[in-house]
Amino acid sequence: MALTIEVIAMLVFTLAAFWGVATWSLVKTLRQEDRKAAMLEAQERVDTYPPKALAELRAWIEANPNDSLADEARQSYNECVDVLESTDEHFYDWSESEVQSLDRL
Amino acid sequence: MGTAEAKTSRAEWGTRFGFLMAMIGAMVGAGNIWRFPYVMGENGGGAFVLAFLVLLFLLAVPGLMAEVALGRYTNKGVIGAFRDVVGPGGFVGLGVVVLLVNIALMSYYSPVIGWTLYYAVHSLLFSFTATGFEAEPFMMDLFGNSALMIGLHTIVMASIAGILLLGIRRGVERIVIFAVPALVLALVVMMVRGLTLDGASEGIAFAFGIEWGYLLLSETWITALGQALFSTGLGWGIALTVGSYLREYDDVPLGGGVFTAIGESSIGILAALAIFPIVFAVGADPDAGAGLAFISLAQVFPEIPLGGLVAIVFFVGFFLATFTSGLLITEVSVTTLAEETRFDRTQTVLGVCGLIWLFGLPSAYSADILDYLDFVFGNWGLPLATLAIIGVIGWAIGPERIRLLAVNKNAGIYIGSWWNPVIKYVIPGVMLFIMAYFAYEQWGTNEMIGGMIVLVTFPLIGYAIMSIVDNGREPTDTAELVGGDD
Repeated sequence: MALTIEVIAMLVFTLAAFWGVATWSLVKTLRQEDRKAAMLEAQERVDTYPPKALAELRAWIEANPNDSLADEARQSYNECVDVLESTDEHFYDWSESEVQSLDRL
Repeated sequence: MGTAEAKTSRAEWGTRFGFLMAMIGAMVGAGNIWRFPYVMGENGGGAFVLAFLVLLFLLAVPGLMAEVALGRYTNKGVIGAFRDVVGPGGFVGLGVVVLLVNIALMSYYSPVIGWTLYYAVHSLLFSFTATGFEAEPFMMDLFGNSALMIGLHTIVMASIAGILLLGIRRGVERIVIFAVPALVLALVVMMVRGLTLDGASEGIAFAFGIEWGYLLLSETWITALGQALFSTGLGWGIALTVGSYLREYDDVPLGGGVFTAIGESSIGILAALAIFPIVFAVGADPDAGAGLAFISLAQVFPEIPLGGLVAIVFFVGFFLATFTSGLLITEVSVTTLAEETRFDRTQTVLGVCGLIWLFGLPSAYSADILDYLDFVFGNWGLPLATLAIIGVIGWAIGPERIRLLAVNKNAGIYIGSWWNPVIKYVIPGVMLFIMAYFAYEQWGTNEMIGGMIVLVTFPLIGYAIMSIVDNGREPTDTAELVGGDD
């Protein structure tokens, strides 16, 4: 019995959607791990948030200053700002101007 | 009793790969091998794959991110994590519910691992290709031999205890980094063998043929929903526990969410490609459950060239899939009880494994009891655990706070605010729907009554236990109680 084009197409799509995505995510996360390890070895600290997530964190802290987790959030924010300002190489895609525009909370 | 020193530092995964394999090893179990391929073929093939994929990305991926993030954020097992979120008191009992469900689940899963062990051993003895072998009597002899079943259950729990005694890094991680790749390799070898047989294309057509009409059937979506939620182990406390051993700079959403959900489902796809070409090539009946693995497949091995070796590859791989799941399911209880009691890890491992062994005796003795418990906990116990975990994240700590403080911190991919309503409304709503749907479907049966007993008594027991245990406890950080011994 020969396979129809439709079955073959579905097979290819399924392999791409499952094994393709799983392989991509595995390779990406292992590469990120290697990069973080190298950065930690070189500069001991790594920035913890990408620009968009850090901006969201700041906005949330400013909107919820009395939240029970606000102090912890502030600490996480400041930690990331400190690392960005004190290290040359950044894990996330930070531009120099973005880093310079940051200030502690 | 454990010393204070033994609980001052918490174990961590030694490598990123170790964490990822632990997640996959935990989630890939018997269902991926003996259920998913058949369910796929019977529910529209490619149409089912599409429905399943949509639900994976909509529910399982975000849900697993949330569960891993809670474990990583609190650095505690189930009960400690719940206490950190809701404060000391009776509501920490929701964590006890998760624990009870895990112990119940493992009590009947251990005999299933015993079955796969028995078949793996017989594959090494080339029993399936021996003259006069008959698959169905062979299986019925096993199920009818209570002493043998109890013996296998004992060996399984003793083996799990032996590995867990070594700790997270030296025990669990060391096993999963070899077992999971070995399982994948085993299925690939079997797939290659199957695809090179005459008539293999019929198996491919069964699994991947598309019947679009199935996308309009509610049954297709409910089956896909059950598969997406149960196969990924969402909300069972496993992802929370595994996530609690993550290191400071580790990512959560890419590895704990996307890779885990899609990776473990990929094993099911691979199983379909490995099993059905062989089954159809020799004209055996496609089936699900024990019938597929232990009858349909067992009887085709003598029919194909190199069948004895293929049987070894399949059954050893199958055993590894179930065994690693059992290892991590048991670790959920070990981690949290080592933190919450004065017992050290060794004492906790022995206590938990002993308890599971004891509770597992009825299921090992009778397959009917096993089936009953599987139905009750599969339909109501596990959704209840999922509801407890995702409910606490969605409604107690709040999805926005956990997203900002844990999910996106050190993340490999950015997760936007679309994630919040999925955690807060969609997943809890779906779990409530599932429990109600199964209750409606099974109205008045013994299974439904058993399920209702679980739904009512487990939260009450949990609430009562934690009201007593946490009585007078200050709502402060309890980070001095830690699990693992690495």
